[in-house]
Amino acid sequence: MSAFIIETKHLTKKFGSKRVVNHIDLQVKKGEIYGFLGPNGAGKTTTIRMLLGLARPTKGSIHIFGKDIKKEKLSILKKVGSLVEYPSYYGHLTAYENLEAVRILLDAPKSRIDEVLSIVRLTKDAKRPVKGFSLGMKQRLGIATALLGNPELLILDEPTNGLDPSGIIEMRELIKSMPKEHGITIVISSHLLSEIDQMATQVGIISKGQMIFQDSISKLRERSTSKIKLTVNHAEAAWKTLLSHGYTTQRMQNNIFVENSSNEKIAEIVKALVQHDYSIYRVEEEKKSLEDIFLELTGQEGGL
Amino acid sequence: MARIMASEFLKIKRKMILFLVFLGPIGVIGLEAVNFGLRYEWLTGVYKEDLWGGLIGEVSMLSIPTILIGLTILTSMIANIEHQTNTWKQLLALPISKSRVFTGKVLLAVLLLLVACSLLAGGTIILGLLLKFGSDIPFLYVVKMCFFPCLASMPFLALQIWLAITIKNQALPLTIGIVGAIVSMYGMNFPDWVPWKWPLLMNEWDKPIYSVLAGLGLGILIYLISLVEFHRKDVQ
Repeated sequence: MSAFIIETKHLTKKFGSKRVVNHIDLQVKKGEIYGFLGPNGAGKTTTIRMLLGLARPTKGSIHIFGKDIKKEKLSILKKVGSLVEYPSYYGHLTAYENLEAVRILLDAPKSRIDEVLSIVRLTKDAKRPVKGFSLGMKQRLGIATALLGNPELLILDEPTNGLDPSGIIEMRELIKSMPKEHGITIVISSHLLSEIDQMATQVGIISKGQMIFQDSISKLRERSTSKIKLTVNHAEAAWKTLLSHGYTTQRMQNNIFVENSSNEKIAEIVKALVQHDYSIYRVEEEKKSLEDIFLELTGQEGGL
Repeated sequence: MARIMASEFLKIKRKMILFLVFLGPIGVIGLEAVNFGLRYEWLTGVYKEDLWGGLIGEVSMLSIPTILIGLTILTSMIANIEHQTNTWKQLLALPISKSRVFTGKVLLAVLLLLVACSLLAGGTIILGLLLKFGSDIPFLYVVKMCFFPCLASMPFLALQIWLAITIKNQALPLTIGIVGAIVSMYGMNFPDWVPWKWPLLMNEWDKPIYSVLAGLGLGILIYLISLVEFHRKDVQ
């Protein structure tokens, strides 16, 4: 038995000759909020559809709770709740009836409906037809549906897509509370790094069907180390001077970048530059945002 | 399976589906009431040997295109419950096998169609009594003429529900179904092997049961093929 709730090996899905998902090794530990990040069309939804048994992998294996999805799909799905893309609901039924239609299928106790309604705070609106709900409410109903079967794993595909800021905050709080209060492991996909940044503990970044980063969010943040940017009059000459003094720096146009340096070192560099009569226009700290790292990793800087 | 059916029946609540199930037979009986009401003298003259037989014959003539168009709309509406708001994915991500979900839909369509046939049979009897055709009701013949065309139409039900579920745009299954219904109106001229002739219950041997058996057989075959296909296919 592996320590992972979800473990995929060389997961591949081809549409025609195009590999939409290419050799993905997804590893999700228990109790984590796993942020699955990637630009639109990177293969997130396809991967999630394979995790839910909605699509068949072309190659590779998926193990959830240590079981092979090919052989034990139904027993895995019993413990998985899901929300796939846009909220699915039966508009002509009330929130309660929507949940009842799924509850019958899951064979869950009737009392569970009231429980999940109160978790997503829809108890008051339970008797209203869902077509009159706001998108945020529909999305919450989707979460309620996903929670009906008392899942151990919750797979949410773009749960904040199309929500307004207050809806996003509501959804985020709801998701963040799950692992703590109910011991649920969550996989959540998004194309927005800021979303994942505020919720996830683990991150997987996928681009063009390939996993390009998979680690804890703090590891990702470590990459956002600060740099000191020096703007000087003769950058190239200054850079050479610094090199001759034994300081390795990078030069970009009129700027010199110094990475990971202590205060003393910066002071020494500035001193050396001043002694060699360079004019220093600016000394500033530049912090790489997660957004930059994301773009760097996915190689889409000049995107669109 | 019982749970799936319970869920399916809950989902058709407040939809026009049940209304349609009633509208079909009531429409047929209503039209026959007008037919016999307006031409009472003439029709009772034509059928004076066998008044009940005449009525049942007229009803079943009208009921065949109604069944075919009705099942087309019915299957489309059943599939559309899931298409409308993309609930296929949610439904199939539940711990229920895909084949059962599919079978649930087929079963729902069959059951609703049989309900419509029962209503048709009941309606025919009531109409006959109102027209004072006597209390010597040929129950067996009524049941036969109401249910046999319906059972012989099973290939179309299986085909329509398959198309309606597989194709999201319901225009295509509806067109195919309605064209089929129109084709079947000229069915008597077709050779016996053409399925569109079977609902008319006419064949070389003059045994309606042959048409019914052929219909059931082909219906089950199409159902099995579509089941395999549905199971194999990725969910969009």
